[in-house]
Amino acid sequence: MAATQQMQDLVKARKYEAGFITDVESESAPPGLSEETIRLISAKKNEPQWLLDFRLKAYRRWLKMTEPTWAHVHYPKIDYQAISYYSAPKSMKDRPKSLDEVDPKLLETYKKLGIPLREQEMLAGVAVDVVFDSVSVGTTFKATLAKAGVIFCSISEAVHEHPELVKKYLGSVVPFGDNYYAALNSAVFTDGSFVFVPKGTRCPMELSTYFRINERNTGQFERTIIICEEGASVSYLEGCTAPQRDENQLHAAVVELVALDDATIKYSTVQNWYPGDEEGRGGIYNFVTKRGDCRGKRAKISWTQVETGSAITWKYPSCILRGDDSVGEFYSVALTNNRQQADTGTKMIHVGKNTRSTIISKGISAGRGDQSYRGLVRILASAENARNYTQCDSLLIGAECGAHTFPYTEVRNKSARLEHEATTSKIGEDQLYYARQRGLSEEDAVSMIVNGFCKDVFKELPMEFAVEAQKLLQVSLEGAVG
Amino acid sequence: MSASLAYLQVWQQLPEALRAQRDAVWRHFEQHGFPRVSEEDWRYTDLSALNDADYAADASVSITTPAALAGWQRLVFCNGERIEGAVQAPQATLADDGITALNAALCRDGLNLHVGRGQQSAPLHLLTLDSGRTMSHLRHRVVLEAGSEATLLIDTRGDDSATLTTSVLEVEIGANAHLRLLRIQDIGTSATDLSRTQIRVARDARVEYVGLDLGGALVRHDLNVQLAEPGAQAQVHGVFAPSGRSHVDTHTRILHQAPHTTSREIYRGLVGGRAHAVFNGRIVVEKAAQKTDSEQNLASLLLSPGAEINAKPELEIYADDVKCAHGATCGQLDDMAIYYLRSRGLDADTARNLLLFAFAHDVLAHVIDDAARQEMERRLASRLPGSAAYEGLMEGLIA
Repeated sequence: MAATQQMQDLVKARKYEAGFITDVESESAPPGLSEETIRLISAKKNEPQWLLDFRLKAYRRWLKMTEPTWAHVHYPKIDYQAISYYSAPKSMKDRPKSLDEVDPKLLETYKKLGIPLREQEMLAGVAVDVVFDSVSVGTTFKATLAKAGVIFCSISEAVHEHPELVKKYLGSVVPFGDNYYAALNSAVFTDGSFVFVPKGTRCPMELSTYFRINERNTGQFERTIIICEEGASVSYLEGCTAPQRDENQLHAAVVELVALDDATIKYSTVQNWYPGDEEGRGGIYNFVTKRGDCRGKRAKISWTQVETGSAITWKYPSCILRGDDSVGEFYSVALTNNRQQADTGTKMIHVGKNTRSTIISKGISAGRGDQSYRGLVRILASAENARNYTQCDSLLIGAECGAHTFPYTEVRNKSARLEHEATTSKIGEDQLYYARQRGLSEEDAVSMIVNGFCKDVFKELPMEFAVEAQKLLQVSLEGAVG
Repeated sequence: MSASLAYLQVWQQLPEALRAQRDAVWRHFEQHGFPRVSEEDWRYTDLSALNDADYAADASVSITTPAALAGWQRLVFCNGERIEGAVQAPQATLADDGITALNAALCRDGLNLHVGRGQQSAPLHLLTLDSGRTMSHLRHRVVLEAGSEATLLIDTRGDDSATLTTSVLEVEIGANAHLRLLRIQDIGTSATDLSRTQIRVARDARVEYVGLDLGGALVRHDLNVQLAEPGAQAQVHGVFAPSGRSHVDTHTRILHQAPHTTSREIYRGLVGGRAHAVFNGRIVVEKAAQKTDSEQNLASLLLSPGAEINAKPELEIYADDVKCAHGATCGQLDDMAIYYLRSRGLDADTARNLLLFAFAHDVLAHVIDDAARQEMERRLASRLPGSAAYEGLMEGLIA
């Protein structure tokens, strides 16, 4: 009892430090979405009136919208009234006390990925010191960042500490009524990250989830804003290669990036949420709106994603290339196994002169997985000398899977140059034979070939992530061969 | 129902017995109307103007019938009625959207070609001429029995009046049979042409399609090829070269349903003036269609500042042992190539047109029949900027 009390105190202390929730009692709003729920969320978070107005505006728009059905995915209808839209972090007593209480399957995966014990505990949500360790590490990092003038905090904190910045940029890239899930997110978002890199600053470290100070249980409606002022640059890493404990089925995140003149933002994602079991029961629905706005000249936004988790993925990280000479990039590896479905791709909207974009998408479909690349390259009449290169390749493993490509191109300027290439094939028998003849097992051979297939994307990932991403593919493909 | 009275009037002029027979398709049209831009397949092509368009029941024809192609039989339809040639009109069967339903309800004539087992039919030039503020609806049906062979050119022309033409061509190609299908689409600048071509290809049979779409206020062609049995092959090639304020929309769908089916698709686009070109090439490989081999290639050039192209090469694959590739590019003529030709003494216009012509020739070279190919080349050349003389271009090519 005393121990529990102590722990709760510690949690209280930690939350206080983060400064956005003082009430730690595990507390959830009753399921259902109404103006009342939104007012409750806003009140709980002690938000200013303008933010509440923003939420309500989004909610009213959302009510008038219909759920999109154009994506090439199938799932039972979501009951938005059955979801609880606010829940405070789980108290420590609900968490497993040690790794012995954690699902052995999960532990096995951690081992295969080579994740250190401490991190395993953190990822599995074990209520031990490691969590607090991460807080202390986070605090040190925060000091370094503060010295450089970089703001990196939770969005709730930013609302209080830097309201003028949040007010200026929130909804400026993804408007509150942009699409069904973005509107929902705008109405009920609970947390997420806020990054601001001031003029001429190169962020001194990669902002990564591993030491994320602000991201325990951000919940299902994450809102992230990253702003790079003139000449600034930042590399942001989201997610984690390890499967994460997660109770929420619907995830509808919104990420907004703003790059001013000569700024560079690199956003990397590794997503490995619960994909459901072999029969497709359970699993996360990941409906995400991510968009970057190259507002300034020579700005650059680069998206890199490795998507292996979630039952359903619906995600199109996009770039609006508004500034002259700005650059957009999209590198993606998506893997669907068992009954996973993914409809993912990107949008490159060329507005400014001499804008360039590169799209490299690698899809791997195994088991009964089904995945689509859906991309849009739009060259507006104002985009003189725009250039796009798109390559999307699909690899099929097994006779029951599907791979689809829906690339939209819209060109309104005659000086534009666009190239699109796509191929679909299976792993060649001769390639497999060659590898096996050299003494590799079939599974190793497949994994090697798949990793080679994804090389162009992995090389864009930060080093340590790249290594883990390779292992992750290997683990995710288990059972798909032979 | 928002569709204009014009359609109802034509419907009511049909004989009572025919109306009773076609009641279901007419009601389908009344219910659904024309497809809307909210439908994915129509997002770039807006037919809403057709809903309150006004058409005369009859109009005088002001086009002169062009000279016949050497060695070809000819069948000529004018404003939906046959004026040359004699074949019996087919029954309308296909009606799965507003346009095909309207066509099925209102068609009065069309080609009904049946080629018997192992036979070879003479090449047939099917010419459609439309004129005046009028509508024409034609329904064609072509059946090739096993081992037979046929060549068919569907040629649609018109004057500058705002005609509406719908046509539906249903084709059945029997085992081991071979169809060469050509299309020239060259209607007037105010005219609308909505056409559907539906082809089913049986075991080891082959269809070779080459199309040339030159213009019209609004042109839409849906070309669906169903490779239904093992060994079926399709070659689907086309050029679209709209200019002025034309809107040309091409949708191709190649459906691989059986193992060992092959498809090749090459499209070239030359978009000039303030024209708007839409290309949607879809390849679907069903689960049963293992060992499918499919390639699709689209290249387009925007020739002027106001031109626009929307292209979408789609792949939808449900089988794993397949080879599928597609590529799409959009760009402009290579300045170095123009410079090279000019350094050889060609003037700027000729150099440019020669390159454009050669670009389109990747497709037109697939037309085997000389008379038909020359006809297509001539028509394309007449539409190139600066209206290059075809003979001059050919000289350039030879030199």
